[in-house]
Amino acid sequence: MKRQIPLIIVIGLGFVFVAHTFIPAKISVDFYEWWQTWSKAISPFAVVLGVMSLFMVHSTKITRKVSNWQYSAVTLGSLAITSLIGFVWGTQEGTPFMWLFKNIQMPMGATMFSLLAFHIASAAYKAFRARSLEATVLLLAACIVMLGQVPLGSQISKWIPETSQWILNVPNLAAKRAIALGVGLGMTATSLKILLGIERTYLGGGD
Amino acid sequence: MSEKMNFFERLQALDRRWIYLVVLLAIMVPLVIPFNSKTYVTEPSENVYKKIDSFTGRTDRAILMCFSHDASTMAELFPMEVAILRHCFERKIQVLTICFMPQAKPLMDYAINTAKEDYNVQSGIDYLNLGYKPYGLFLPIMLGMGDDIAKAVETDDQGRKVDNLPIMKELSNYNELNLVIDFAASAAVYSWIIYARARFGANVAAGITAVMAADNYPYLQTGQLTGMLSGLKGAAEYEKMVDVFAMHKDEYGNPDPREFSKEVIKNTWIKMSDIKERRYKTARIGMNAQTVAHIMIIFFIIIGNIGYFVTRAKKKVTAE
Repeated sequence: MKRQIPLIIVIGLGFVFVAHTFIPAKISVDFYEWWQTWSKAISPFAVVLGVMSLFMVHSTKITRKVSNWQYSAVTLGSLAITSLIGFVWGTQEGTPFMWLFKNIQMPMGATMFSLLAFHIASAAYKAFRARSLEATVLLLAACIVMLGQVPLGSQISKWIPETSQWILNVPNLAAKRAIALGVGLGMTATSLKILLGIERTYLGGGD
Repeated sequence: MSEKMNFFERLQALDRRWIYLVVLLAIMVPLVIPFNSKTYVTEPSENVYKKIDSFTGRTDRAILMCFSHDASTMAELFPMEVAILRHCFERKIQVLTICFMPQAKPLMDYAINTAKEDYNVQSGIDYLNLGYKPYGLFLPIMLGMGDDIAKAVETDDQGRKVDNLPIMKELSNYNELNLVIDFAASAAVYSWIIYARARFGANVAAGITAVMAADNYPYLQTGQLTGMLSGLKGAAEYEKMVDVFAMHKDEYGNPDPREFSKEVIKNTWIKMSDIKERRYKTARIGMNAQTVAHIMIIFFIIIGNIGYFVTRAKKKVTAE
């Protein structure tokens, strides 16, 4: 029953929502509105579940003193302090919460993402080699697109941004569309398998 | 000859910390000492501007800005958000904002507060911050807005009933909320394309980080995306369009906004020093750093390859 009930809910509701899309009858519209109200009420509980899960994972690490448990303490401490500050003073401009955001989260987030520039530069120097014809084409395309993305490219020659745009609009677009079609077909097949009860791995348990 | 070869060999084995140092300088110097560089406006950015501008002064039209990113991608996305909000406030275009990520909420507030500093705009009248909604409600809200916005999102950021607010008088669904712009470093905009666009015919645009831009070209070509602001470049282009058209002043210095024109934007050169507020030229200053960084990377690729080929040739000669 532990597996059969969720399976019945998924299959039943799956077919109901497929039917709703194609049947504009009143009963279908009413059901859809009813579902929207319920989903609004249920969804916020996911936040509680998330916080509980985070707390359980990290408190276990702290209690067992596993390696780097100090990071877990920082995570839980930050969670508690940020939440408390947000609840007490609110989250609007001028509050301690906003100060924390501007002075801690913003620079930390920006630092993490900006590391990418250093890694790209280093990888470009160390690994981006014209070892084969394909690698050479990739290398040239990368250089043209990079130049086309900055004003200097247009100032050197108008064909640089034009070629850059062509690379993005033709070969890139063709490849992306092929991938999207593949993904779309895969999603349709998986959805059908779920609707028909063939695909059950989402229920957990291993089979 | 051998000395020259040793130099290239040394280049091949260069410690990456030297590369990091060069990159650091290449990025830092243009940010600290901004220089004037020309901003070329591309069509996807132009389309976003024109669509938003077409809602000027209309109380039966509004745009929805969905903030779907955190602080890590702020450098690229924040300037475009501020530029769009500034455009809306300047041209009396009604704007609604929403986010489904808790990390995006302070960013959304920050963008609104940054843009409204110079304008006498009021929440609930000129703009409406719908606030943070849990991600689980993304789909119900997105679909619900197709029928009735006030039913899908009942309260705003301040807990007020959305239905009672003046801005909502003539706004009911995507027929009026006719442009949704999603700002993301991910594929979040696809959901808007799949549901809001396909099902309700809403116009959808994307403000996206440069690395994600290539993924969106198929949707631009089909017209499913009305336009796209791609990375810092897109933000710089939008900043320029706002300065040239929305912020245009007549010969006496009075506000004299004008319609978009390809010719005008092509031939207009704005000096960095002419824009007093740094917050209105952040992307253009950033583009200076990006220009130098891109050239630096291309330079590294060339040097690295020269080193590679010279070393390979030497190895071949030694083997023979």
